[in-house]
Amino acid sequence: MLSIKNVTKRFSGIVAVNDCSFDVEEGTICSLIGPNGAGKSTLFNCVSRVYSIDSGNIFLNNKRIDNLATHKIANLGVGRSFQLTRVLDELSVTENLVLHTASGFNFHLLKRAVTKDDEVKAEQVMEFLGISHLRHSSMKELSYGQKKLLDLGSVLMADPSFILLDEPAAGVNPRLLETILDRISLLKDQGKTILLVEHNMEMVMGISDKVIVMAAGSIIAEGKPSEIQSNKEVLEVYLTG
Amino acid sequence: MTNSKYLVPLLALLMLTMFPLVQFFSNQNYIIHLLLYAFFYIIMTSSWNIIGGYGGFISIGHNAFLCVGAYVAGYAAVRYGISPFYLIGLSGLVAGIFGFIVGLITLRVKGPSFIISSIALIMIMRIVFDHWDLVGGASGITLPFNSLPVQWSKLPHYYSFLFLALAAIYLNWYVRHSKFGLALRAVSHDETRSAVAGINVKMIKVTAFALSAFLIGSAGAVWADYLTYIRPNMFLVILIAANIVLMVILGGKGTVTGPIVGTVIFILFNEIILTFFGATELNILLTGLLLVITLLYFPDGIVGSLKNKNILPKFLDWG
Repeated sequence: MLSIKNVTKRFSGIVAVNDCSFDVEEGTICSLIGPNGAGKSTLFNCVSRVYSIDSGNIFLNNKRIDNLATHKIANLGVGRSFQLTRVLDELSVTENLVLHTASGFNFHLLKRAVTKDDEVKAEQVMEFLGISHLRHSSMKELSYGQKKLLDLGSVLMADPSFILLDEPAAGVNPRLLETILDRISLLKDQGKTILLVEHNMEMVMGISDKVIVMAAGSIIAEGKPSEIQSNKEVLEVYLTG
Repeated sequence: MTNSKYLVPLLALLMLTMFPLVQFFSNQNYIIHLLLYAFFYIIMTSSWNIIGGYGGFISIGHNAFLCVGAYVAGYAAVRYGISPFYLIGLSGLVAGIFGFIVGLITLRVKGPSFIISSIALIMIMRIVFDHWDLVGGASGITLPFNSLPVQWSKLPHYYSFLFLALAAIYLNWYVRHSKFGLALRAVSHDETRSAVAGINVKMIKVTAFALSAFLIGSAGAVWADYLTYIRPNMFLVILIAANIVLMVILGGKGTVTGPIVGTVIFILFNEIILTFFGATELNILLTGLLLVITLLYFPDGIVGSLKNKNILPKFLDWG
């Protein structure tokens, strides 16, 4: 579904992503792991065109997307969350969830900000994530974990076919982590394709169909979780940093 | 929509609509002028609020669009004999298109850079208009007076501005509660997050800017006819835009009724100061003090702060 071909991204003299190539098959969960500074989030940002790549190509269902604007990639069915939760505190909980309904630029923007249909769907997503009780809460009252779930919810509301999750387990308690894991598995069962960046090895090895290991901007290993767990080069990178 | 929420505004509207009838009994031209002036600024503050309040772009150059609208109407009045009242829409359209083009250039930047670009717009336009012979250059254009008796001469402007003010307030309300407004508010706080959600950030910003320019340009046509004499230094001065920004901040930017409250308080305060102290520099000092003291106790403006504390009267709570 997603095909990354020889992608390189530089920031002045620093090569953050160095000639990376890999594929993510449809309906699978692929995890991207590596030490801090390996280029994982940068690669995410390249896929969603928050950053422009310096060379290479990115394809989604055989359609080139590295030359499209960020909002156009989102409208092709790519949803993503951020490493540091980026819910909008100035909007209400429901407005955060239905943000994608203000996408594009045509006459639908004349509709009410939150329509009855939006409310129904938002309720379904909140139930799926177990946060229905937050519906009328002020954003200031939400904990970090709840905002994390809300962030995930806003991605799911758009019903994307391809989901980029950037460290969904970061900063959440074990019980909430179980909830998130459970929901990610359900999304895969629904036919979604997920590319996941995570540091939580137990989570990654337990949930992934494929694991890709990055270090210093390059891909150093790729394979099933069991293969990666016994890969000497991977172990060396994680032990030496 | 509950009855109590809109009762006070509807009563106020009724009174404002009927007020000019007092002219049958006594000449209240000064009060009519004050009200008309308030409507004029409500148009400008409500329009500014679309891009400044919801969009987060603090423009100190929005009077550029007032100038465009005034000159479109003024030029047509003098050259072709068309009453500016018939040109309200066209003036707005020209100002809106101009706003769209300016927005495409200036909205690429944010914060202080955008503020500076808005000031630069005023300065550039001032130079252009001062030297543009077609529209009279620095000397400007003299428009024909209307032929109504003095007692009734302000009424066409009064009702035009009242109508445009209602339109501006409605548009402000509509944007606030629409998906367009949702996109605009999201963009103002996090453009990357908005783009990732599929929002066309550039078009949302530029359209909001153009919409704001359209309304102000429309008001410019009526203002030109009211003044009967227009020249660049009457429009292209930072003080006008600064007043707009102050009124909105005083009332509460990013709210529907904030611009209205800020405008009314600002003009009323100004009138009180003029009455007791005359047109002196004390006026400026006291206006500044008003703003400082208000923001100390109402940091989000009067409407914004009352709303945050959940004590905003219902008739002011329109979002």
